[in-house]
Amino acid sequence: MPPPTSNIRNFCIIAHIDHGKSTLADQFLLKTGTISERDIKAQTLDSMDLERERGITIRMHPVTIYHEHNGQQYELNLIDTPGHVDFNYEVSRSLAACEGAILLVDAFQGVQAQTVANAFLAMEANLRLIPTLNKIDLPHARPEYVIAEMEQAVFTEAADVIKVSAKAGLGIENALTAVIERVPAPNGDPTAPLKALIYNSHFDTYKGVVVYCRMIDGELKLGQKVKLMRTGREYAVTEIGQFRPDMTKCESLAAGQVGYFTANIKNIQDVNIGDTVTDALHPATEPLPGYKEPKPMVYSGLYPVNNNEFEALREALAKLKLNDSSFVYAPEVSDGLGFGFRCGFLGMLHREIIQQRLERDSELDLVQTAPNVTYEIEKTNGEQIQVHGPQDVPDGGGIKEFREPIVKISFLIPAGNVGDLMTMCHERRGTFVRTEYLSQQRVILVFEMPLAEVIYDLYDKLKSVTHGYGTMDYEVIGYRPAELVRLDILVHHQRVDALSVIVHRSTAEKRGRAVLKKLREEIDRHLFEVALQAAIGSRVVARETIAAMKKNVTAKCYGGDISRKRKLWAKQAEGKKRMKAIGQVAVPQEAFLAVLESGD
Amino acid sequence: MNRTTNTEPPSPFREPPWREPRTAYLHIPFCAHHCGYCDFAVSAGQDHLVELYLEALTLELTTLGQPRPVETRFIGGGTPTYLTPPQLERLLQAITHWLPLIEDTGEFSIESTPESLNPEKVAVLAQYGVNRVSLGVQSFQARHLNTLDRQHDPSQIAPAVAAVRQQIPAFSFDLIFGTPGQTLWDWEADLTAALQYAPAHISTYGLTYEKGTPLWKSRQRGQLVALDEDAELAMYEHTMNRLEAAGFEHYEISNFARPGQRSRHNERYWANEAYYGFGVGAARYIDGCRELNVRDTKLYIRRVLAGESPTFQSEELEPRDRAWETIATQLRRCDGITRSRFFLQTGFSLDTLIAAPLPQLIALGLLTDDGSTVRLSRRGRCVADGVIEELLSHQ
Ligand SMILES: Nc1nc2c(ncn2[C@@H]2O[C@H](COP(=O)(O)OP(=O)(O)OP(=O)(O)O)[C@@H](O)[C@H]2O)c(=O)[nH]1
Ligand code: SF4
Ligand SMILES: [Mg+2]
Repeated sequence: MPPPTSNIRNFCIIAHIDHGKSTLADQFLLKTGTISERDIKAQTLDSMDLERERGITIRMHPVTIYHEHNGQQYELNLIDTPGHVDFNYEVSRSLAACEGAILLVDAFQGVQAQTVANAFLAMEANLRLIPTLNKIDLPHARPEYVIAEMEQAVFTEAADVIKVSAKAGLGIENALTAVIERVPAPNGDPTAPLKALIYNSHFDTYKGVVVYCRMIDGELKLGQKVKLMRTGREYAVTEIGQFRPDMTKCESLAAGQVGYFTANIKNIQDVNIGDTVTDALHPATEPLPGYKEPKPMVYSGLYPVNNNEFEALREALAKLKLNDSSFVYAPEVSDGLGFGFRCGFLGMLHREIIQQRLERDSELDLVQTAPNVTYEIEKTNGEQIQVHGPQDVPDGGGIKEFREPIVKISFLIPAGNVGDLMTMCHERRGTFVRTEYLSQQRVILVFEMPLAEVIYDLYDKLKSVTHGYGTMDYEVIGYRPAELVRLDILVHHQRVDALSVIVHRSTAEKRGRAVLKKLREEIDRHLFEVALQAAIGSRVVARETIAAMKKNVTAKCYGGDISRKRKLWAKQAEGKKRMKAIGQVAVPQEAFLAVLESGD
Repeated sequence: MNRTTNTEPPSPFREPPWREPRTAYLHIPFCAHHCGYCDFAVSAGQDHLVELYLEALTLELTTLGQPRPVETRFIGGGTPTYLTPPQLERLLQAITHWLPLIEDTGEFSIESTPESLNPEKVAVLAQYGVNRVSLGVQSFQARHLNTLDRQHDPSQIAPAVAAVRQQIPAFSFDLIFGTPGQTLWDWEADLTAALQYAPAHISTYGLTYEKGTPLWKSRQRGQLVALDEDAELAMYEHTMNRLEAAGFEHYEISNFARPGQRSRHNERYWANEAYYGFGVGAARYIDGCRELNVRDTKLYIRRVLAGESPTFQSEELEPRDRAWETIATQLRRCDGITRSRFFLQTGFSLDTLIAAPLPQLIALGLLTDDGSTVRLSRRGRCVADGVIEELLSHQ
């Protein structure tokens, strides 16, 4: 029997990375007896291998728990969310399934960039916020100071702040009480036609697509004929359940509840996140507003080191895509690297994680080309094109406007580093927007900046400028025209497409020099001189040469040396075969990473 | 007379030259001292093992089953002449029995050092038919001998040469160039000094830093600085000019001989032909199979005296690998690779193997091809390994 709507609370936990969301979720599972002391492990909900290995949450994790309060049984549907900016869309999706959010703040680190960003997302979604201070057990915790920051940054009332230690299990009961007392019950109509929001999905080899849904109106029953409003497709429901935290079957889901269903849906692409599920016979008139699709922000080429592993890579990508619709790929060919794929990622962490998963799950050796953002080009003939990589840039003129994505980026940093940060942002073509002091010691700085400048190494630079204390968050605000060019690299007068990059004209020369310098280190000397050039169109902006080998000869080669030498020669010749031949020049795989050199 | 591999002497051997050895190598590991750059199988300060070693070596020779006539023999080391005259006699007797020299013209070489040689030892060598002594002089300058961690001083060279000259028809000098601190003028002085003795043959070796040797470690630690490539190249080029002008033939990358004075023994290696090998660390190549003996002297003795094989590595080559190996070794010779002989020896046509990379290497001026023979050019010799690697990468 589903509980009455008034006894349901739907909430998520949001915070900056590592502020303890998943650990707090553990405590909720434990305190409500959802999971026994024996079965719990740290961050139980982080079930993916990579999550466990890296100690971070990558995907949202919903779970249903039951808690008694004032003699009444409540159903609490909680969603643990990731903190990293690349997976921000998972937070947005989670928010749409909830009426409230616990905003967790580390009592030592205080308010950070994603604290602010996620708090505002929750406010915009009209969620009730429960400001919560975590890690109060830390000896160096600074509760008053951090609460003052919360008042300043996210308009918290000091009196509303719940204090917990997720690790030590302190204050958990208070947090649960706050959820029940402060988060409004869902206000759907149980008698209206079925209307449920699809907020996530995953693929199960046996059951097909598992659709995560938040019930708004009506009821969902086993065997019911449902319709997905966007695609218009109809399915018969084969299983209904809730996450506790494992998939646990039930008979039905009622308005306000959160759960999942399956319906023999074979293709994950057939289920759009944000779509509305309704009854096929008595459909709702209006779909729910849904979400913006997360768009890949960063593209790069992905090539098997071994060219004959192309098919294996294709299979591995398809498998990965089953559970990660935010990742896109399409085949491409490069002179230098052969057959591969151009892949789109949500950000650099996403890119790294995908490469790791591919290499691990399929034992493929991969080369990734330099990452780039999606550009837009308006040609002189009026045609508009989307540019996912340097090879999409038309050769020789014909470009009326070259546009790049711009982000609004917020930094939360110690006040003492403002000067250095300003310099860093100006070097990256950032324009200052505003500044806001959280306290005398800490300040928020907001800039607008090309995304291309952000994805490289901005995060590392920020950490070094602020000695680890700075955090950042950004969102794309639009496209702007810029002086962009494709910088080509020529090895022995032959263009190596895999080494081309799109850069701002003002940095082209510096980038070119950095790439050539790196190439010079990576490419062995040859029997002839090798010319390296960086060029914009036909204009060479930087050059280097690798001098010809002058002396390379084994002094002694007598009886005992022959087999040793043969093995050495064979090994070297083998190594050379594994390299990519650009004309007569053997270029090692590592050299293709040269494009990652920024020249700083 | 200029012997080339094209004109083989009449021979009782019927098999292709890579099958049945006509040549034998014997290794004597003992030295007075282990030089800092040396990574040969060497036992310094192990004099008490000499007798046992000779016993083991003789026993290893008996595995031949019956005496096997050869055209060349070479006793290398180590320092074979570090042995005392009676020890030398014992060694030479065994060799004479098991590996008789085929013809009167057979070549019998031994390696030696200035400080280990005296008239008495030379007499023993001469008595047993040694007709070629290779003297490890390395340098005529005390400073460089010192850097190389060699034991002799330059004044010991003249008496050693005098002793050899009196009783043995030919001698060769081993010289090293590229020693840290050495200049081109130092090297020129060494060459001049060497030429004054009118040797039949000179080997010049660019110093190599063999991994793990004290010399290599010093370079790793930055205690000495290796010469740069330009300096080494200049020395090598100067060597070619100087010795060719003095009437020497540059017949292998590191070897120069007066006409008719090449090391026929070593030519077998570069022709990629078969050879016997006995003693610790010795290599042999018989019937397409390459074998290596253990490198530790005590272990060698223990194994052989226990009736076990001293072989620790054995590798049977496929015909194709053998052909590629033949390309690599023969290319080191100024005689290069002659198509017809290559085909007879390996069963492969040279062009089917190297047709692809050949034109470019010729265009770069590194190889020459007169239609019957492919050779390294003068410039090609300086980058021989690069050329060989390029060829082999088309396997
Ligand atoms: N001392 C102390 N450490 C805590 C507390 N809560 C969490 N931690 C630690 O903080 C680290 C991060 O905890 P998580 O629960 O993984 O944080 P998260 O917010 O889920 O992190 P992401 O999912 O990556 O954004 C872990 O090492 C926890 O053990 C706490 O109350 N006290
Ligand atoms: S004398 Fe010759 S073999 Fe002996 S250690 Fe010195 S270099 Fe090596
Ligand atoms: Mg987490």
